[in-house]
Amino acid sequence: MCGIAGILFKGDHRNLTTGQALINMLDGCQHRGPDSTGFALYRENNDDELRLRFLVGHGAEAEQAVKNIKSKLNEYGAAVISEEPIGATYCFVVRYDGDVQKFSYAMENVAKLVSIGESLDIIKDIGGAHEVDDIYDVHSFNGTHGIGHVRLATESDVKPEAAHPFWATGFADVAIVHNGQITNYWKMRRRLEKRGFEFHTDNDSELVAVYLAEKLKQGASLSEALKGSIDDLDGTFSFLVSTKDEIGYAKDRLAAKPMVKFEDKDIIAIASEEVSLNKLFPGMALNTMEPPPGTYETWHR
Amino acid sequence: MAQIDLGVISVTEANKLIRQHGEAGESIDIVNPDARHHIGVGLTHPVTVRVRGSAGYFCAGLTDGPNFVVDNNVGWGLADNMLGGSVVVHGNAGAIAGVAIRGAEVVVHGNMGSRAGQVMKEGTLCCRGNANFMAGYMMYGGRIIILGDSGDKVGEDLTGGSVYVAGKVQSLGSDAEVTDLPTEEVDSIMEFLDRYEIPFKGTFQKIQNSGKGLRYSKIEPRVRNIPFYTFSGESDYWNQKVQEDIHVKAQIGRYRIRGYGAARPLPHLGDIAFRKDLSSAGADAGVLDRVNLATEIGGKNGAEALKLSMPLLIAPMSYGALSKSTKVALATASRLSGIAENTGEGGMSDEQRAEADQLVYQCLSGRLGWNIHDMQRANGLEIYISQGAKPGLGGQLMAKKVTKEIARIRGIPEGIDLRSPSRHPDVLGADDLVIKVEEFREATGYTIPVSVKLGAGRVRDDIKIAMKDGFDYVQLDGLQGSTGAAGNEVLEYVGIPTISAIQEALDALAEIDCTGELQIILMGGVKDGVDAAKAIALGADAVAVGTGAIIAGGCIACMQCHVGSCVVGIATQDPEHEKRYNTPVEARNMHRYFESIRWQMAAIADAHGYTDVHQLGRGDLVALTREVAEITGLPYEPGYRNTQPVAAE
Repeated sequence: MCGIAGILFKGDHRNLTTGQALINMLDGCQHRGPDSTGFALYRENNDDELRLRFLVGHGAEAEQAVKNIKSKLNEYGAAVISEEPIGATYCFVVRYDGDVQKFSYAMENVAKLVSIGESLDIIKDIGGAHEVDDIYDVHSFNGTHGIGHVRLATESDVKPEAAHPFWATGFADVAIVHNGQITNYWKMRRRLEKRGFEFHTDNDSELVAVYLAEKLKQGASLSEALKGSIDDLDGTFSFLVSTKDEIGYAKDRLAAKPMVKFEDKDIIAIASEEVSLNKLFPGMALNTMEPPPGTYETWHR
Repeated sequence: MAQIDLGVISVTEANKLIRQHGEAGESIDIVNPDARHHIGVGLTHPVTVRVRGSAGYFCAGLTDGPNFVVDNNVGWGLADNMLGGSVVVHGNAGAIAGVAIRGAEVVVHGNMGSRAGQVMKEGTLCCRGNANFMAGYMMYGGRIIILGDSGDKVGEDLTGGSVYVAGKVQSLGSDAEVTDLPTEEVDSIMEFLDRYEIPFKGTFQKIQNSGKGLRYSKIEPRVRNIPFYTFSGESDYWNQKVQEDIHVKAQIGRYRIRGYGAARPLPHLGDIAFRKDLSSAGADAGVLDRVNLATEIGGKNGAEALKLSMPLLIAPMSYGALSKSTKVALATASRLSGIAENTGEGGMSDEQRAEADQLVYQCLSGRLGWNIHDMQRANGLEIYISQGAKPGLGGQLMAKKVTKEIARIRGIPEGIDLRSPSRHPDVLGADDLVIKVEEFREATGYTIPVSVKLGAGRVRDDIKIAMKDGFDYVQLDGLQGSTGAAGNEVLEYVGIPTISAIQEALDALAEIDCTGELQIILMGGVKDGVDAAKAIALGADAVAVGTGAIIAGGCIACMQCHVGSCVVGIATQDPEHEKRYNTPVEARNMHRYFESIRWQMAAIADAHGYTDVHQLGRGDLVALTREVAEITGLPYEPGYRNTQPVAAE
C-alpha cells in the first residue's frame, strides 16, 4: 500500500539533482504512505567493486553486526575499500570477483543486507522523504536514474527492513518499487525456491524483484522480463524496476493501481499520481499519460 | 471573478473559499493547481470554476450545480457522484472518470482511463479520445459517448444506461450487447456534441444490457423455513437445516439466499462471565442516577462527535431491505433514547432525517442513494467496506423489493435483482482509501466524523489500516451479525465471531502502539445490556444492535426478508404488508428495549462499584469455555458458569 516514483535523466540537462527530484516526487505522494520512505539510487562505481549496504541499527547492536560483517567479508576474500556508517545503516565498498549470488546469500545471512551492486545503493528508513533525506543526504545524489517508494505499512511492521525498495536477493543491481498485491505470491515463490533462490522477507515486492532478476540472468532483456511478469504474476500491481542501466514499469491487466508517466527530451518520470510529476515542474500543465492496463516499457540511460 | 492560487494556500483552505464564492454567486479561477486532489469538492452552487492546469483525484467530486473547466489533465474519480452541472476537461482523465454521476454532464477532450462511468446512474459522460477497458462497468443508467475506441469489455456488467461508441468496439463486457440505435438518440447525442462545440461526423454503435442477467431465473420457494434461531443440535452437517437448504436448492438450482445470520453455535459473549456476583445487581432502582453512561464517539480529529446518552447505536440497515415505516420507527426510537441511527445502504429519507436527532449516513460501493446534500445534513459519514454476515461481498436486494420508489432513490432500474458491487470503485487499497476519506472531509468541511464499517474477516490488518487512514472510529461487525439477504454458506461460514473480531482489533492496535486511539463500536449478536457490558469490558467503546432492534420492533423471524414478503411489514416494500406496521407503537417498543439495555449496563457497572460504564475492564471478566479463553486471553474459569445474569427491571 503505497506510492511509487522513478526518474531517468536522458542527458546532463537538469534543474534538480536526481536525488532531489525523487525526494520531491515522493513528498508529493506521501499521503499514500506516511510510514517509511526509500530510494534505490545508482551510483558511479568502479567495475570490480561492489557496494553493500546493511541495516545494523545503533550502538552495541550495530558494533556487533559490523564485526560479523567484516569477518564474513574476510572469509569470502572481499577487500574493503571504504566503509561508512550512516543513520541505521553501514555501507561497504569492497573488491570482490567471485559468484555474487553465493556471496550475497552469505552476507544476507550474517546481517540485514539492504542492497548489493556495482552501482545500486538502497536507502530506506521510517519517516517521510525529507526526514530520510535529512539523515542520508539523498539530495546530493546526482546519478542518471533512481526509483523510490513511500509506504503505508498494513500487513507488516513499520521497520526499516520492511520498507521499500526491495533488491532482488542474490542479484546485483536490480531493485523494485511496487504498488499492489501479488496474489500468487506463494506459488511463484515456491517455484523460485525450488530452483535455489532465497527469500528474506514475506513481501511480495521481493518476489517481483527476484522473478525479474532471474529472467535477466537467463539472458532475457528487461523488456522481455517485464512482459513475462504480466503473464506470470497474478494480482494488482503497478511497479517500477531499475537496473544499472535501465528503468522500466509494468502494470497489471486490471489497472487497479494508478501510474502516470511524463516524458520529454530530458527525462522520463513515472509516479503513482500526477501530483508527484508536477512537483518537478511547479505551475506547469504537463502532457502526461496513464499507461494502459497490461503494458510495460523500458528506458535505457 | 475570484482567483485562488494553490501555490500559496492549501486545497482545504481553497475549498472553503470556493464554497464562499459559490454562495456569493462568483466564478472562480484556480491557478497553480499542479494536479492536487479534491479541487472543488462539495460545491453546491451554480458557479464556474476554471482550473488552469491539471487537477488530481476527485476533481469536482460530490458536487451539484457548478460548471468546471480544467485546462489540462485530471486524476482518478473525475466528477465523483456529481448530481448536476458540468465538467469539461481539456486533457486526459485518469481511471473512473464520471464515477457514480447522477445527472451531471462530463466531457473529456483527451482519453479516459479504465472503468469510466462506473456505477453511474444518470447524466452524460463524453470522451473525445479513447476509453480504456471496462467503460460503463456496473453502470445503472445515463449514457457514455465515446468518440474514439471503446477499450476492452465495454459495458461490463452494466444494468441500465447506454454506451455509444463511434470508433472501434474492442470487446463487449459480460451481459452487454450491441443493439439498434434509434434516430432520436442520435439526435440527442448530436445536440449534446453541438452544445459542447465538439465537431463530429460519424456513426455510433449502441451498447446496452442484454437483459439476461438482471434477475435470478427462480426465486427461493415460499416454504415455512426453520427459524434462524433454531440451532440443529451439535451437528454441522446432515442436520435439519442442511436438509432444508438442500430442498431449496433442489428447486432453484443455485445457491440459496436468505435473511438473518449464522444459525450455528459459535463462541460468543455468553461464554464470558463477570467475576462479580451480580445476583443483587440492580436491586436499587437508582442505578441510572449513579452511573454515567454518556459516551462521545468520533471526535478524535476535531469533528463534532456523536453524543450518545449511552454507549449504544443502531446498526446500519438499509431503506430497501427494510420498509420506510421501520426505518422511521428506528429513527424515532434512537431519538427517544438519545442514541444514533444509521441509514445503511440506499440513501436517507426526509422522514428518517426528521425523526433521528443523530443520523450516520452510510456510503456503499454502488453509491446507491449517495449525494452531497444528504452528506451535509448527516451527523456522521461512514464508508462501508463489508459486514459481518458477508465479509467481502456486496449486498443483495431481490427484485420484489426494488420498487419504483426504491429504484428512484437508489438511481437504478426498477425490478432487478440488485447485487451491489463487492468493492468501491475508488478504494482498491489503503492508499486509495486515505484519499477517499479526505474527499469526504473536504466535502463537509472537516465537521462530521468519518467512520468505517468493517465485517470481521482480516480484522488485524483492517484495523491497522483504519487507524492509519485517519478514521474517527470503526464499526466492527462479527459473524453473528444479520442481513436482509445473503447466500446461506456465506452467512454461516465466511466471517469470524464477534469476540474474535474485537480481540484481534485490540491486539492490532496494541501492535502499532495505538491502544485506545481508535474507538471501536462492536456489533454482531449483541442482544442485551449484559452483552453490551461485556463488550465494553472487553475493550469496545460502544455496541450497536440491529437484529435486537428489529425483533423489539415487531419482527417474528418469518424468514421472508430476502423475498420481501415480510408478514409484519418490516423487511418489505409491499404497501399492503407495510400497512400492517404501526410505526409509533413499534418505535416505543424499540425505545423500551434500548432502555432495558441502558438499565442493565448501569446495574452491572453499579454492582462493580463503578460510576462510569467505561470503568468496566477485562479484569472483571472470565471465560467459561477453553475456546473463548484461548480467543480472548481471559482466564478460563468454568466455575463461574453458575453465576446468574442480571434480572431485567
